[in-house]
Amino acid sequence: MSFWEHITTFFSAENYTLFVVSIGSGVLCLAAGVVGTFTYLRKRALIGDVISHSVLPGVAIAFMLSGVKNPFYFLTGAIISGLISIWVVDYVQSNSKLKPDTILALTLSVFFGIGIVLLTKIQHSGNAAQSGLDSFLFGKAASMGMLDIQVFSAIAILNVICVSIFLRGFSTISFDEHYAKSIGLNVSLIKSLLAILTVVTVAIGVQAVGVVLMAALLITPAAGARFLTNSIQLMLIYAGSFGFLSGITGVVISYTGNGMPTGPWIVVVLSVFALVGILFGKRKGVFARMRIRQSNHIKINNENVLKDIYKLGNEGQNSLPLAELIEKEKYSPVKVRTVLNRLEKKDLIDLVRGFIILNEKGKLAAQEVIRKHRLWEIYLTKFFQLDADHIHDDAEGIEHIITPEIEKELIKLLDRPEVDPHKSKIPY
Amino acid sequence: MSKTIIEAHNLTVVYGRKPALWNVDFELPEKQVIGIMGPNGSGKSTLLKSIMGVVEPTSGFTRIYDQELDDVRDRVSYVPQRQEIDWDFPASVWDIVSMGRFQKRGLFKKLTSEDKDIVAESLEKVNMLGFAKRQISQLSGGQQQRVFLARAIAQQGDLFLMDEPFAGVDIATEEMIISLLKDMKEAGKTLVIVHHDLHTAQSYFDYLVLLNTRLVASGPVKDVFTDNILTDTYGGRLTTIAKISQELENKDFPIRHK
Repeated sequence: MSFWEHITTFFSAENYTLFVVSIGSGVLCLAAGVVGTFTYLRKRALIGDVISHSVLPGVAIAFMLSGVKNPFYFLTGAIISGLISIWVVDYVQSNSKLKPDTILALTLSVFFGIGIVLLTKIQHSGNAAQSGLDSFLFGKAASMGMLDIQVFSAIAILNVICVSIFLRGFSTISFDEHYAKSIGLNVSLIKSLLAILTVVTVAIGVQAVGVVLMAALLITPAAGARFLTNSIQLMLIYAGSFGFLSGITGVVISYTGNGMPTGPWIVVVLSVFALVGILFGKRKGVFARMRIRQSNHIKINNENVLKDIYKLGNEGQNSLPLAELIEKEKYSPVKVRTVLNRLEKKDLIDLVRGFIILNEKGKLAAQEVIRKHRLWEIYLTKFFQLDADHIHDDAEGIEHIITPEIEKELIKLLDRPEVDPHKSKIPY
Repeated sequence: MSKTIIEAHNLTVVYGRKPALWNVDFELPEKQVIGIMGPNGSGKSTLLKSIMGVVEPTSGFTRIYDQELDDVRDRVSYVPQRQEIDWDFPASVWDIVSMGRFQKRGLFKKLTSEDKDIVAESLEKVNMLGFAKRQISQLSGGQQQRVFLARAIAQQGDLFLMDEPFAGVDIATEEMIISLLKDMKEAGKTLVIVHHDLHTAQSYFDYLVLLNTRLVASGPVKDVFTDNILTDTYGGRLTTIAKISQELENKDFPIRHK
């Protein structure tokens, strides 16, 4: 079967199981992405890991007490032990000198250790019903049923509704808990609600993707979304969508590649989304930063060549042969040509048969660069006790970044000086 | 002497076993600019936080206008220390200053157009209206401080508790804050400011509280800002208090026997 056939079979209602599994995973990841945004913003990424490992003893004890594999008993056990783990972390943090990372690591391992001990005990007990309990370790997304999808949808709806209603409270305490308290918001209520939503989401999610991968479902969507936007509402929408799409895509991939595990594929797809955010984010994304660097480079080249034309052409009075510019400033002919073309496009110079003519606009632009250069030189000599022969290189770089506001400030601060430390006149 | 606005009675705050504030008693007059000063770790921030209910006192209490904080909370604005916040948060200047209206509107009620006018006016007062849509991560230290002041102004209270508003801000902002404080005082507001620069204390404040875990002195600047008291506050003579605090911490020793 080709990939495409797989996809069509997949979305035909015939393939009921996969339809259920993919929607279920998508909805679960959406729920985790939304509530995880606040885990991320409150810098509690590791809490997700702690909760997911800590639900294990609760599940095991629920089984030992009931003796049956009932998902609602499991869920109750998981939620209780998850909440206890959060309480332990908070309690130890405010009553001991241990550092937060130590507390998180300890709580995680202690709960997980107890969980494994109990699971092993159950496995050796010979109770036939116990088979499959270890699916909590690695998840069992592939065997989701209609009941699971209903539970996942319920938690997704719960999360989205609570976050919409409590957005103001959640974001205020994430930004500054102390301030939230000072204006009389019920901070402990808001925090408890957030903790409960997180624990319930994790307790449910663990059954699908396992304890190890659950934290990724919480944090990865938010981490990717943060690079794409500066608005908390949009961040929530992005994180939810990343989660949903990853859930579905992960299932589709694991289905098409025979016998591939579902949970891990969901996490891989999530990481791809996060990576895309990190690379293409318009704020701090890798490519955005490359673009900025590129435009800095262009600005520096433009201004340097412009300055040279101004100086070599007798302050822009004469036209300057291109050959002279290349020879005197040792420019590469090809590179200088691209810069000159850019300057001509910006209507700063005219190029006529091998001569460069600086027009009025170009003259002003060149003077501006020179003025900034010399102002900076004066500033350095005046306030930093630098000798006149130490300041040129510094000013060569800084002349390109001085903004009009800073220039105004410099002129005011230096009392509109006439000449620079090398006795060159400052053009105004 | 004008009316008392804040009264602290035997205020003690203990972190672990270490006292941050120890039996502090004072009364502050209203409609004054009041400085809270003392060396690092002398409990200045803790004092503001316990007045605001952010930190629970271990014993003792504070009263504002002779009432419980919760009854007068809408008249009190708190300006937290700017450096304690991570400013890389997905919010605009407008979003942050809007928080100043949440007290009035609670968790759920929408901000009215009156609220929005107040937010805009508050931004205008600190010369930041032009930055309303700016991301807070792109602000300079001085601009961050102005945003926090605007947020407090938007609460429309008449008592302001500010934690180190002058720390690490540019001169323009410092001058702006000073003239703002003067205007606010003239409008009948009371300003309580944690500050650490001794040079400016006399010109900024009418009234001083000098702390070194315990209260060293409080009173009008001219009475309190004396060589003797300053040496007591900042000089080596009170390092014993730090040593005792450390002892209490090390030996897990309570300062009270209940």
